[in-house]
Amino acid sequence: MNNIFRFRIAIQTVKEHYRITVIIALLFVLMTSMYSGMFPQFEEALIEMMSSGFGDSFNFLPHADQMATYVGFLTLELYQIFWLLILAIMIGFIAASSITKEIEAKTIDLLMSNPVSRKQIVFEKFIGLIPMVLLINFCTMLTVIGITMVINQNLDFGNLFMLHMVSISYFLAIICIGILISVLIDEKMKASIIMIAIIFAMFFINSVSLMNPHLEYLGSFSIFHYFDTFNVLKLGDVNVAGVFVFIALITVCLTLSLIYFEHKDIIS
Amino acid sequence: MFINHFYINLFDALMNVIETKNLTKYYGKIKGVENLSFSVKKGEIFGFLGPNGAGKTTTIRTLLGYLNKTSGEAYIFGKNIDEDIVEIKSEVGYIPGELNIYGHLTGKQFLDYFSSLRHREMILIDDLLKIFNLPLDRKVKGYSKGMKQMLGIIQAFMDDPDIVIMDEPTSGLDPLLQQKFYEFLRKQKGKGKTMFFSSHVLSEIDKICDRIGIIRNGELVALEDIETLKDKMGKKIRVKIKEKPEKFKGPKNMKIKDGWIEFVTDTDIDCWIKLLSKYTILDLDINEFSLEDIFIHYYEGQT
Repeated sequence: MNNIFRFRIAIQTVKEHYRITVIIALLFVLMTSMYSGMFPQFEEALIEMMSSGFGDSFNFLPHADQMATYVGFLTLELYQIFWLLILAIMIGFIAASSITKEIEAKTIDLLMSNPVSRKQIVFEKFIGLIPMVLLINFCTMLTVIGITMVINQNLDFGNLFMLHMVSISYFLAIICIGILISVLIDEKMKASIIMIAIIFAMFFINSVSLMNPHLEYLGSFSIFHYFDTFNVLKLGDVNVAGVFVFIALITVCLTLSLIYFEHKDIIS
Repeated sequence: MFINHFYINLFDALMNVIETKNLTKYYGKIKGVENLSFSVKKGEIFGFLGPNGAGKTTTIRTLLGYLNKTSGEAYIFGKNIDEDIVEIKSEVGYIPGELNIYGHLTGKQFLDYFSSLRHREMILIDDLLKIFNLPLDRKVKGYSKGMKQMLGIIQAFMDDPDIVIMDEPTSGLDPLLQQKFYEFLRKQKGKGKTMFFSSHVLSEIDKICDRIGIIRNGELVALEDIETLKDKMGKKIRVKIKEKPEKFKGPKNMKIKDGWIEFVTDTDIDCWIKLLSKYTILDLDINEFSLEDIFIHYYEGQT
């Protein structure tokens, strides 16, 4: 009877996504190797560029002045753009279609004919997407460690670990926003586009708040505002309030999704 | 008195496996179904009849909790659909009208996945696979419509549920498979299983159902044993007379078509035969109502 503890829908979700998970993980392994591996060749040029004021043109990103250091370079090139933005878009895209695609393809009809509750479907879809986040985090972290050791750069691996722990809560928050959209919207493409638009809008808001001191308050409306990858990686300084914001987002979005989906008409 | 009443209620609850009371579903302001009250007895094949758009699918989806009812009540096995829908589904199989199966899975993977969700022994799966021979190792997206339909039937019956609700289950099946499927349904009925069979194909309803409900514009217009319904409708009389057909004064429903006088009489054919004997009869047909006639009777002027 306690079907929920057997996580069959979650396991199925993992199976459905294993290929894309491996592809994204490999992509990030490659990208991480490329960026960290490239640093020694660029170091001198970067120092020169920074001293000539080139860094100012990157002031829409936090800590742009640190580009010439290994941690700064890693943060700006890899974590700030590819990790927090591009990966969030990829994962958000997948999460936003998780339930929508079952509704759009009408496979939800048969799924719901089984003795499973609607809450269980939403919850297990969420659980089923967690391994994707864990695997990508783990692979990227290991790659950074490996390459850093090979090129003999200075990096606190404890801070790196912390960075990836916070990343997990960040991406889980992204997944939950995606799931909320996927129960609200019935068309897969529409749901995914809305998700991408939300992430871009939040990135834009954060950039504006960084560039214009008068608009700094705007940043608090963006998820990016709560995760300073440079501070974690360089100083081990985790924004605890930020982590709580992620946890709150996970709780609120997931609860709203469960409640909304429970009362939604599944029209054939 | 009280005990008697108790037993009568208990008896009813045991016998009516599906029961609805004024079940109503509105999509905003648009009526889906309204005030549906019917019951399906244990061990019967209940035919749910109506053309496309009459509200058959809405009824089924409301019963199974896909749609939130607007008002009314519904019980399956005496359990309220609002409170115990998950429990209810462990005893109910369902074949949706528009069947969509995960295309990326093979037939076997799909059945394994659903078996794990049912969490019961799949006692009928071998029998079903003997009837419906399917390439289970192939991905479902490569299946034809008929093959998908077979897979849909297999998943609904594989754990031998007490009720199976079917929404146009034979669409896409060839006539041979349809026959095998009807045989299988009769066998299930023999085991005391209940089936709710929604269709617009009158011949199959006539062939396998014990009782029917006819739905029109979201409302139930007939609910009866098929045979009783046919008897109730009376007889169809077609007669050709030598004289001008207009001369014969038949009942109000009389029509003249290609020189034939056609009318329906509810019970007494004797008086009409006596009346007709005054004319020269060239040909005479007296027929029972077919399900098709009944259906057309209920839908006359509707389409």
